Amino acid sequence: MSTETLRAGAATGTPALNSRPGRALTRLAARQIRRGAVIVVAVAAGMSALVATTFDSVLADAATAGALDALAANPAIRTLFGEPVALDDPGGFTVWRTGTVVAVIVGVWCILATTRITRGEEDAGRWDVLLAGRTPLPAVLARHLGVLFAVPVLTGTAITVALVLAGTHPAGAVVHGAGIAVLGLFCIDAAALTAQVFAARPGATGAAMALLGVGLLARMVGDGVTALGWLRWTSPFGLLELTRPYAQNRLLPLLVLAAAAAALLVAARMAAGRRDVGGGLVTSTSGRPPRLRLLGSVETFAVRRALRPVAGWATAVAAYFLLIGLIAESLTGFLGDNPAFADLAAQAGFAALNTTEGYTATLFALLAIPVGVFAAVRLAEFAALETNRRLTLLAAQPVPRNRLLGAEITATAGGAVALATVAGFATWLGVTITGGGLGPAAALAGTWNVLPIAALCLGAAVLALGCAPRATGAIGALPAAGGFLLQTIGQSIGAPAWVIDLSPFAHLAPVPLAEANWSATLAMAGLAVALTVVGGYGYRRRDLRG
Amino acid sequence: MSEPALRTAHLTKHYGRVPALDDLNLEVGAGQVFGFLGPNGAGKSTTIRLLLGLARPTAGRAWIFGVDAADVARAHRSVAYVPADVALWPQLTGAEILELLARTGPGTDRAYQRELADRFALDRTKPARAYSTGNRQKVALVAAFATRAPLLVLDEPTSGLDPLMEREFRHAVGQARDRGQTVFLSSHQLAEVEAVCDRIGILRAGRLVEVATVAGLRRLHRADVTVTYTGPAPDLAAVPGVDNVETTGKGQLRFALTGPPGPVLNLLAAADVSTLAIREPSLEEIFLDYYGEATR
Repeated sequence: MSTETLRAGAATGTPALNSRPGRALTRLAARQIRRGAVIVVAVAAGMSALVATTFDSVLADAATAGALDALAANPAIRTLFGEPVALDDPGGFTVWRTGTVVAVIVGVWCILATTRITRGEEDAGRWDVLLAGRTPLPAVLARHLGVLFAVPVLTGTAITVALVLAGTHPAGAVVHGAGIAVLGLFCIDAAALTAQVFAARPGATGAAMALLGVGLLARMVGDGVTALGWLRWTSPFGLLELTRPYAQNRLLPLLVLAAAAAALLVAARMAAGRRDVGGGLVTSTSGRPPRLRLLGSVETFAVRRALRPVAGWATAVAAYFLLIGLIAESLTGFLGDNPAFADLAAQAGFAALNTTEGYTATLFALLAIPVGVFAAVRLAEFAALETNRRLTLLAAQPVPRNRLLGAEITATAGGAVALATVAGFATWLGVTITGGGLGPAAALAGTWNVLPIAALCLGAAVLALGCAPRATGAIGALPAAGGFLLQTIGQSIGAPAWVIDLSPFAHLAPVPLAEANWSATLAMAGLAVALTVVGGYGYRRRDLRG
Repeated sequence: MSEPALRTAHLTKHYGRVPALDDLNLEVGAGQVFGFLGPNGAGKSTTIRLLLGLARPTAGRAWIFGVDAADVARAHRSVAYVPADVALWPQLTGAEILELLARTGPGTDRAYQRELADRFALDRTKPARAYSTGNRQKVALVAAFATRAPLLVLDEPTSGLDPLMEREFRHAVGQARDRGQTVFLSSHQLAEVEAVCDRIGILRAGRLVEVATVAGLRRLHRADVTVTYTGPAPDLAAVPGVDNVETTGKGQLRFALTGPPGPVLNLLAAADVSTLAIREPSLEEIFLDYYGEATR
């Protein structure tokens, strides 16, 4: 009787119990992710479509069957870009060129969005009221995951549609789109699980990101070392590659990845039913002796709060660039022996890959993205301290606001320099182990060369903090992530020079192959300082939120 | 010290078009315990945010011991603050947070800090993540009371405390007063305000409607008088300040009295009063009187 009565009551406008609280939850979850979701779908489908439609037969003509074999056989090429298959096909070329980037964008977004709207909301106490209602924790989680799942599915569908419309073979388009979708689902499930295990959002995000990073490294090692090829079956990126879209269109790897995603989902569901609200499976509520290091001033406290994130980012950056260093000899040697590919690489924006300096310079440019995003994320975290009111007690101390902000900027800038330094040493170590010739000074010059872009990110983030604090992370990441996408896509589709010149990457000299572009470096640093000053002025003048 | 601990002049704050605080003129002398009352949304927390420079006034100014509140580096040297909703760094333990606040604050008596932590029964070894609302509040209270800042700004500091801890709180306020510290206390716990405050300000819909001592507030408000008598029934209807006269039994009267009781007592003398009870209004009744006016 009850449901009928309730529905009748609702229909006649009498106040009645909302018989579908789930719908309200779905709307709540959708509101929190819709903007980012639209951007992810648009970027993923747009990149795929752009590269596929602008594919010309240059590659197919130049690459004779023998040369293609050589390319596919070179471990360094495979490590870096994945196994090249069906490069003579517009679809196959698109997958090789954009597959990893799109997979990383989708995967990272899925992890960040999942921990943000689940553990992040719970951590901030906003789920307390929600969970006091009729819906238990596992059901609330399931509703949020259901909404999140729609994003990779939509992304995969959009990629497939874009690739089919671009004239590539539908079967390959479906396999590639499905692969990206399942990888996104895997990342959401992994993040959902870590969000149950860890009681704080940074821990949950870090663990899921580490899983994704290890997956990427496993794919790279599995591609580079034939004997370890099986490693690819343990990595979401490896499985994605093993589907070989536009060549064999294999479904088994896809099924394995889907099964892994399902297993993670089941584990997350079970963990959610087993833990307390606000707690995790891993909790340390017992006391410990105080660690009073770095609590003496707001400056040292900013350093203390940055230490752990810097260590996490540094580990990831070091692992990646160590691998880059290890394959340097093999790759440069290959390109030296196959000038046709060196030319092709030059056309694709990778100049002088056949020397260690040129090769490392090209890859050092990529370092600007993690270092810049690191800066943006730290400032976004600082902006969040206002809304979660953790800043209130410090802001009530005899410390002017600009000193609080200055401490954060200094700690973040120090972290960025540390990341660049770690990357330089890791690369140098990798190259040296394999007997290559790259001095530590040259490596450091190359990695420090990207710091102006990170400074731009920091400046943009401070500007946002002063004027639009909720967008601190997005605006801060724009110079690095947006600038890189602009340059890559712009070059792929032959955009006018002034468009590409908007990207800071266009003004980055290939250090250590060439001298640093000092005028561009100074211009970027000057712009970064100007952004910081304007942002700092806005921050000092506005009300603190919360 | 002649300088008032806290002064505002035409202090006004609008959020968009919504006025949160309207033309507040307030002065709290050094050494006072000042109670700041008002219903939810009256603008109490907005006032405190403006006093601390966390928000910028739309108009008007505020001074802390003569220093412009916007100059936080100087003004906050004289202030310790306990926010209404205490949020702490979840990974730091209580001891670490107290260390941080002591080292960055306006000067802390470490021995007194330890004593307070013991009195408030605060487990300082736990990470803040494991603290309940009351425990988070205790951390902020211990940190604030242990400073030698001449002004303590406390925003609903006892909402999460149990009665035992509330007693400790009143004790600590008393000690702060004895040391000459000024206390600015925003609270809904009217019994607590009545017990510890020298003066009280009542805020309603962003405007200050009354500033007075507790006794002064009472004088402005109606006392409940019950009389039994053996003589002729007195006619009180015409006496100024008397209201709601009712006969509650044979030779028993009850009425409300506002203002000085002299004229009534003169009249009652003729009625051979056998007992006389005057109950002064509680702060709660006074508060409800003000609040009631707003809703009427």
